[in-house]
Amino acid sequence: MSLHADVWAAPVLAGAVLALGAYVVAVLDVAAAGLVAGTGSRRVLAQPVRNVALLIRQEPTLTERPDRASWVLAPALYAGLAAAGISVVPWSRTFSIADVDTGIVLWGSIEALVVVALFLHGWSANSHQPLLAAYRFVAVGLSYLLLSMFVLIAAAIPAESLQLSRIVESQAGLWNVVRQPLGLPLFAVAALGSTTWGPLNLAAGDDLSGGTTADVSGLPLLVWLGARAAMLTAFAAMGTAVFLGGWHGPLLPDPLWVVLKTVALLAALVASGHLVARVRAERFVTWCWMVLLPLGFADLALAGLQALR
Amino acid sequence: MTGVAFWVFGVAAVVAGWRVFRTDSMVRATFLLLASFLNVGAILLLLGGAYLGMALLFMMTVEMTVMVIFMVAFMMNPAGLNPMNMTHQPRLAAVAGWAAFAGGAAVAWRSNFPDRPLPAGKAVIAELGTELMGRSMLMFETAGVALVATMIGAVVLSSRRSRYGQDAGDDGSLPPVLDPATGAYPAGVLPEPEASGHGHHGGHS
Repeated sequence: MSLHADVWAAPVLAGAVLALGAYVVAVLDVAAAGLVAGTGSRRVLAQPVRNVALLIRQEPTLTERPDRASWVLAPALYAGLAAAGISVVPWSRTFSIADVDTGIVLWGSIEALVVVALFLHGWSANSHQPLLAAYRFVAVGLSYLLLSMFVLIAAAIPAESLQLSRIVESQAGLWNVVRQPLGLPLFAVAALGSTTWGPLNLAAGDDLSGGTTADVSGLPLLVWLGARAAMLTAFAAMGTAVFLGGWHGPLLPDPLWVVLKTVALLAALVASGHLVARVRAERFVTWCWMVLLPLGFADLALAGLQALR
Repeated sequence: MTGVAFWVFGVAAVVAGWRVFRTDSMVRATFLLLASFLNVGAILLLLGGAYLGMALLFMMTVEMTVMVIFMVAFMMNPAGLNPMNMTHQPRLAAVAGWAAFAGGAAVAWRSNFPDRPLPAGKAVIAELGTELMGRSMLMFETAGVALVATMIGAVVLSSRRSRYGQDAGDDGSLPPVLDPATGAYPAGVLPEPEASGHGHHGGHS
């Protein structure tokens, strides 16, 4: 049985983990950009702080007659969903912020609500490019959601539970990344899609001059980018728990293994933004339904067959 | 704590549901309805419906997201941000609404709700799974597969590429004419030129 954080301590703890995670994402992003461009990686630790300071000093833009409530609340929803997500991830065999018994289903709701947050953010600006990006993102979002559901349910089968701590426990002998090799790559697609990151940066892409963020600047942009990095952290932590064996590992204490694996997964996700070209939305949707979704179903069927054996 | 949470979610669900009918945009109305559903889901969680509450959250979210796309697509208001009147038959709707409310309230008022808290440690999720996948499995699976087949069939039939091929361009298609001088014509039909005797039908762009 896992310990739970106190009702008042839980939001603080989740917020602190995500703030730290967002900083790590920013550092990794600067480092990866330097490595790929061959310009070296000086000031890797300071550059994110400078960027934040710059955004705070920048004046927020305002469009004509936006839906103000949605425009302000969409980043808050995004960040809140990241916090809800990180709170079901187990940090050791005795501690999660909130180890609810339907953790996998909660994660599914979070992924679905992320689509709403991104749509509202683009729609509420009452501006051309953000609106196009918002609609484009919904088409992409509905395509990868099902995929992600399949691989998460497949991971719940050997654990015979929807609870995250039980899913980590079930990987004591063999991690899911080996047992269900299709799971982690397909989950990574959902991670990049939900954070509109790297090759799947389809809601905030340069081809729509910034997409949903085209008319956002200053503090609102900082909050949005922070929420996005926090969501990527939550996805990496979730991927660690569901596919990389969570706390399992020799010698080191439990939480350290979780942190190490999460950072490694984060590094891979962030690096993909500098190594892989952005896909075309139309082509991605076709690929998702024609290739990735059958692969997700194969993953689920494989897990079912293994359980029957 | 649970009592306070119930009232917070309950009031939020009712207020969001009321705002659905007071707003002037399809997108706002849809997401207010979603907010109302999410609060109902939270109440289900409080009642001990661990799986049903969570499932309600994500099912309603996806459902409302799909709905907003279709509603905006069918409205002559592409962005969904312009104010528009969203009511029709308001008097009938008001009468029906109040009658339904009175009926529901009367049932709630007159019923004797049982007070049977769930015993701690009862495996409600496993029991629900056994119910769905045990005796009722054939029914649920048949309905599920039929729904999926319908959905995929609808997408395949309506998708441009699956009807006209992978490389279908815009060759031969004509946009609707919306010129105040010539009047409006449906998509694919060009107005007959008046001077020449031969009608020139659509087909060349």
